[in-house]
Amino acid sequence: MHVEIPKSRREFLCRSGGGFGALALASLVHQTSSAVDTRTSFHPRAKRVIFLFMEGGPSHIDLFDPKPLINQLAGQSLPESFGDVITSMGESRSPILPCQRKWKQHGDGGIWISDWLPHLTRHADDIAVIRSCWADGINHSAGVCQMNTCSILGGRPSLGSWVSYGLGTENNDMPAFVVMQDNRSSVVNGSRNWSAGFMPALYQGIRIQEGNDPIPNLNPPEGVSQEQQISKLAYLSKLNRGFAAQFPNQSELEARIASYELGFRMQAEAPHVIDLVRETAATKRLYGLEMKETADFGKLCLMARRMSESGVRFVQLYHGAGSKWDAHSGIEANHSSLCRQMDWPVAGLLTDLKQRGLLDETLVIWGGEFGRTPMSEQGNGRDHNPTGFTMWMAGGGVRGGQMIGGTDELGLRAVDQRVHIHDLHATILHLLGIDPMSLTYIHKGRPERPTVNEGRFVEKLVT
Amino acid sequence: MKRMGRLLFKGMRLLLTVAALGWSEWASAQNVPPEQTAFFENHIRPLFVEHCFDCHSQKEQKGGLRLDDLSEILAGGDTGPALVANKPKESLLLQAVKYEGLEMPPDGKLSEKEISYLEQWIAMGAPWPNAKNSPAKRTPQSSITDEDRAWWAFQPLKHPDVPEITVTDRALHSSWVENSIDHFVFDKMRSQGLEPAPEADRLSLLRRVTFDLIGLPPTQQEAEAFLADDSEKAFERVVDRLLDSPHYGERWARHWLDLVRYADSDGYRIDHYRPNAWQYRDYVIRSLNSDKPYDRFVQEQIAGDELFPEDTDARIATGFLRHWIYEYNSRDARGQWDTILNDITDTTGDVFMGLGFQCAKCHDHKFDPILQKDYYRLRAFFAAILPEDQAIAAEEEKLSYAKKLQEWETATESIRQQIAAIEEPYRTKAADQAIGRFPPDTEAFARKVVAERNGFEKQIAYLIERQVDFEYSRLDDLIKGEDKEKRLALKKQLLSFDHLKPQGLPTAMVVRDVGLDVPETYFPKRKDIVVQPGFLTLFDEKDTAIEPLPDRMSSGRRATLAKWLSSKDNPLVPRVMVNRVWQYHFGRGLAANASDVGRLGGVPSHPELLDWLANFFLDNGWSLKKLHRLILLSATYRQSSSHPNLAENQRKDPLNHYYWRSDVRRLDAEQIRDSLLASCGLLKDRVDTADSTPRDARETFVRGGGEGVMGDVGKRSIYVRVMRNARDSLLDAFDLPLFFSSESTRNTTTTPVQSLLLINSPQLMQFANALAKRIDSKTQQANMERKIDELWREVYGRSPTPDEFNYANQFLIQQQSIIEKNVDTAIADEVAQSKIPYRDGLAITIKPNDASSRMRIDHDERLKTADFTVEAFVQLRSIYDTGAVRTIVSKWSGSGSKAGWGFGVTGKGSRRKPQTLVMQMHGEKLDGSFGEAAIFSDQNVNLNTPYYVGAAVKLAKDTPGSITFYLKDLSNDDEPLQSVTVEHQIRGGLENKDPFTIGGRGGDEVGLFDGLIDDVRYSRGVLVAGDALLTSETVLESTLGFWKFEPQPGVMEDSGPNQFKASLAKPKQEILEPRYAAFRDLCHALLNSNEFLYVH
Repeated sequence: MHVEIPKSRREFLCRSGGGFGALALASLVHQTSSAVDTRTSFHPRAKRVIFLFMEGGPSHIDLFDPKPLINQLAGQSLPESFGDVITSMGESRSPILPCQRKWKQHGDGGIWISDWLPHLTRHADDIAVIRSCWADGINHSAGVCQMNTCSILGGRPSLGSWVSYGLGTENNDMPAFVVMQDNRSSVVNGSRNWSAGFMPALYQGIRIQEGNDPIPNLNPPEGVSQEQQISKLAYLSKLNRGFAAQFPNQSELEARIASYELGFRMQAEAPHVIDLVRETAATKRLYGLEMKETADFGKLCLMARRMSESGVRFVQLYHGAGSKWDAHSGIEANHSSLCRQMDWPVAGLLTDLKQRGLLDETLVIWGGEFGRTPMSEQGNGRDHNPTGFTMWMAGGGVRGGQMIGGTDELGLRAVDQRVHIHDLHATILHLLGIDPMSLTYIHKGRPERPTVNEGRFVEKLVT
Repeated sequence: MKRMGRLLFKGMRLLLTVAALGWSEWASAQNVPPEQTAFFENHIRPLFVEHCFDCHSQKEQKGGLRLDDLSEILAGGDTGPALVANKPKESLLLQAVKYEGLEMPPDGKLSEKEISYLEQWIAMGAPWPNAKNSPAKRTPQSSITDEDRAWWAFQPLKHPDVPEITVTDRALHSSWVENSIDHFVFDKMRSQGLEPAPEADRLSLLRRVTFDLIGLPPTQQEAEAFLADDSEKAFERVVDRLLDSPHYGERWARHWLDLVRYADSDGYRIDHYRPNAWQYRDYVIRSLNSDKPYDRFVQEQIAGDELFPEDTDARIATGFLRHWIYEYNSRDARGQWDTILNDITDTTGDVFMGLGFQCAKCHDHKFDPILQKDYYRLRAFFAAILPEDQAIAAEEEKLSYAKKLQEWETATESIRQQIAAIEEPYRTKAADQAIGRFPPDTEAFARKVVAERNGFEKQIAYLIERQVDFEYSRLDDLIKGEDKEKRLALKKQLLSFDHLKPQGLPTAMVVRDVGLDVPETYFPKRKDIVVQPGFLTLFDEKDTAIEPLPDRMSSGRRATLAKWLSSKDNPLVPRVMVNRVWQYHFGRGLAANASDVGRLGGVPSHPELLDWLANFFLDNGWSLKKLHRLILLSATYRQSSSHPNLAENQRKDPLNHYYWRSDVRRLDAEQIRDSLLASCGLLKDRVDTADSTPRDARETFVRGGGEGVMGDVGKRSIYVRVMRNARDSLLDAFDLPLFFSSESTRNTTTTPVQSLLLINSPQLMQFANALAKRIDSKTQQANMERKIDELWREVYGRSPTPDEFNYANQFLIQQQSIIEKNVDTAIADEVAQSKIPYRDGLAITIKPNDASSRMRIDHDERLKTADFTVEAFVQLRSIYDTGAVRTIVSKWSGSGSKAGWGFGVTGKGSRRKPQTLVMQMHGEKLDGSFGEAAIFSDQNVNLNTPYYVGAAVKLAKDTPGSITFYLKDLSNDDEPLQSVTVEHQIRGGLENKDPFTIGGRGGDEVGLFDGLIDDVRYSRGVLVAGDALLTSETVLESTLGFWKFEPQPGVMEDSGPNQFKASLAKPKQEILEPRYAAFRDLCHALLNSNEFLYVH
């Protein structure tokens, strides 16, 4: 499949006022099923994504990738044989920090998970743990940017935007790409993480918050009644129709009229989607809504499920927004607390998706922008490590209960079956039935592709 | 695949292939000894199959390489032969598997054993049973084909004849054909069986050309004057007036600034403000206004320092080479420098040549004759640059500055020496730490004596030293104990000499060369291939002769490039620019992709016209204004957007490819914001050139901005700070580019986000309110009919039709009755709100000269507490010149003899330290007396920077009490929450009946805040860091009041248990009269309307 959008079609897409939904590009051209991989006879099953972004970089060597050598070499410098390392804080020769976790293998697949994630263990056979991820950005800004856009430099569309562009939404009254975060600090680089880059804003992620005003400006401003606003909208529509009548066949003018109507419909739809009132007590418990520590992220996970159900294509949840996972010092306290906030709700999400039969079509991705070093920082923390870290995926056709790839003996660098972010994105797209080399957007006259012409499908995930 | 990318350009390949043919001592293919066959089959073939064939075999040939056949291996891929028999060390294949340069296979290194097998095999002479041992013959490829050369954009400019118009056509369309442009357009149009549209009506035309040239709507007077002018020259006069307007440069600079990815911030996480970037912005505005010839404009930006060293503007122009994003804490200085040079190369290719050079970064361009070599040849022109922030004053100004500075220095010498002595060890340590964070090789560059650094080392050291400067900017927080006290006292002394200190000279971000010692440009990962500067091989295969400028210690490289780009023989540069101008006037270029005139960009719709215009441009001294004039006065431009044969024409040419009418176009982001400001009477006319924000050494490290910078309110959008990571939500919604890379076209989207923002945001309601007031004051007591008429003329530049008038009237009546029913909701306290960067939601804006912008919460017994904690998010814009405090929150009248407390930031004349947190308490001291305690945190609060601040007050009992101050820079994740605990003697007696006041104090009108305040939380007891608002944005058991200032549930609402509603300190008590509120809604509807948002 080679999707190239002629100028006219692009214009059409831009100006169609197709609302949040965006028109499914693929369905305009033809079905994406042609992305079936002939080598693996793999049939894409994932229809949507929930990306759990642990912002700041969780420590893979304390969560999924046990390295006994770390404890043997505790207190010593990184052996010379590991060569030079550029670290963010320049403490590459500080003593190796032992891991204080207790490790066990879980599930039929024998997945290693540390005691920091006791609840996730019950889904050990649903998750495929990729222990050989690597990236290019040493710092948060470049790292988070790359995890979202494939490039460490800003300006490219985010993965969610590509998915939204490629597949559209299943619900025209809701955005195709939604972003939520667990607090009000800004995620590193702010909203450009979910921007559409050089693509039309139609494909950008929409930040959704709890409460009555989940989407910015969804409700009338203070002091203006709903009735007053409806009457104003009706008058505006009359004004606009009068104007459009002078310019027949200017679809853009019609589109703007439609966009107001859509905005109004969303006022009803969006709060409904995030309204958790009708969820049962059992469901709320499943997500940890009744416990102080887990309530915040639990709500997001539950909203994510509701959105997936309502046809939102790509949901991204930031946990620890504002680099809270960034444990340069005091990793014990930091990770203990963050893991407790996240472990229960994430396990609950997987359980819920599974029991509702949604997991098969919903690809759940967990991870941060990088991992952490075996070397210590400031005595009791760990520095950034983009050269080797762990992500996991579940659902969406992924075969759980397996570990893919590996890092060296200290967890410093990915060495076996290395998976670059390009490969991760290519894989996510592939699981959704999109061939990353075929999905193009013409920018400045040049074909741009979601994985910057790189990346390979990690076939092992589905075999 | 980048990793085995096309590292060698095709020209080199030929050479290497010849070398490859020279081997003689080959193992013969027919004659592989059995033990070698076994070795191959056991160790080598399986290895190839498992690790290589996926990408390098018959099914796929990444990097042009196949490894499934010996002759293919010998022929190699884009990087040249993969193997040299018997010579493992010289074989790329072995280098690649050893991860020396190339890293193959990409998903994990082979085992040591496998690598050694390969090495042995090559050493044996690469025996491969039954294989041909000569390199596979590839179709000989000349690097650049004749077809490549024939592409229109690379041809010399043609001199096409202006098409004749037949006598019949001329008679039929006598009013239409105005100038040569029309001849070309008409000719094509007729060939498609299309007829042109008649001229647009006057008002549409005026609106179109005014937005087009100055980015603003015409004023009522301008509209009236034009409608009244029935001379033939009326439109021409309008065009000339607009071209002469200073607003012309403000509008057209916008297009250029998109192209050069101009912004006022670094673009990475800390997104530091660039206090001097605006010099370049204003240079562009000035240049356009003065109609600087485009060739000169190009020369100045590429090499102003080399070509016109005496010209201040030409030096500012090199700011073009400074707009790259910059990461303040990257320890990979080599990588960052590489990225910077690539960015400059990409942008130069895009902006001036309209070619996608970046495609050639990793491989020869797949569609255009741009070799990978050409990328690095272009980059080599910039190899010597060194960024510099340079004073750009005239000589006499510099002298007078130096003289005054000397006086100040003499007067303060001893004080400064003492300060320096205290600071010295801290500086040394800070610098040492900052440098030490870099890997040893680059660390060494920074540790070298400046004079001993070579060119490249200077560049790397520059990046490292910026990080040292960042550490220096935090010296205030690093110095502790006795040293701190001493330094504070000395600094206070130093301040008393400020009257002698001259104001700093204007400074610009520019570049110069490192000197004559130009760092070499290499192929990526190939240190053995040095690239010399050169133009496109297509035009000239040879390296370009460069004349160094030893007098200026400059390499002369950029001067050479600048001259080539601006030469009349260069076919690309004038075509690209003329096409851009056309695109900005008509919404699309004659060549559709203005920054790609290569094959991907397609062929122009009117190639002859494009060349004719390019010649016109050159013949008229590269004058942009003459080009505008020609285009605008054409009948083509002046057509109406409607057409008598609309349906038929649309069938023949649905996209209006042939310009048979004008298009309806939405205004772009800046035009929308500027015309909102203009219509509502809020637009400041030409603002200060210089940025008015205060500047000191720390200013360089200021972050934030966007909507948070209040100096930007009312400024034309072009003057609003562009903070890459804190975008203005209105501009953002209407497709503002990201400014990370060059943009030649704006997207035009229609989204519900826009509609919701226009119809529901408090910001637009405030615009509507301003508009209503404006119309009201203009029309005084006049009747509604007159007001509606005035409104129409203000917003649309015309009177309403009778129907429109009736509808408006009906709407007003209906709206009024709705509002009367909901009378409670019609009370509008106008709270100025804005967004704090790095925070969601809205904050309130406190203006230092407007005491009514304070918020008050009336005294209530339930607010009483002994120990307490007060917290907020703030962004401070200025401090007082005196010792007065910018109060964040208080419960105090402000009178020294009255009980109470106030929490704020100290002024310049502070008895201890300016710009630090202070808690002023007036109450009972431990000794029983009534008195004051002013407790300072000594933490430095930067201006225009978003912070979380807090003060937890524990009263004294038998022992002294304490205050713990919290401060967290929200823009810097690497900076932890700082907390400082300071003792005090107050044991109580702070109670009073004053209101709890936000942004000032209860009684007096001094001590006001200046800036943004958000999420004020007042708590009982001493909150520990774990419960701080920073991480726990909720109502806790200890919460007494919590004001979030969000439209939901309400700006004034208290989210805490007590529901203490806030109000403006001096309520404007503006109960909107329903009749007025209805009129405001009418204004609001018009500001939402398509007639307002589109030109046609």
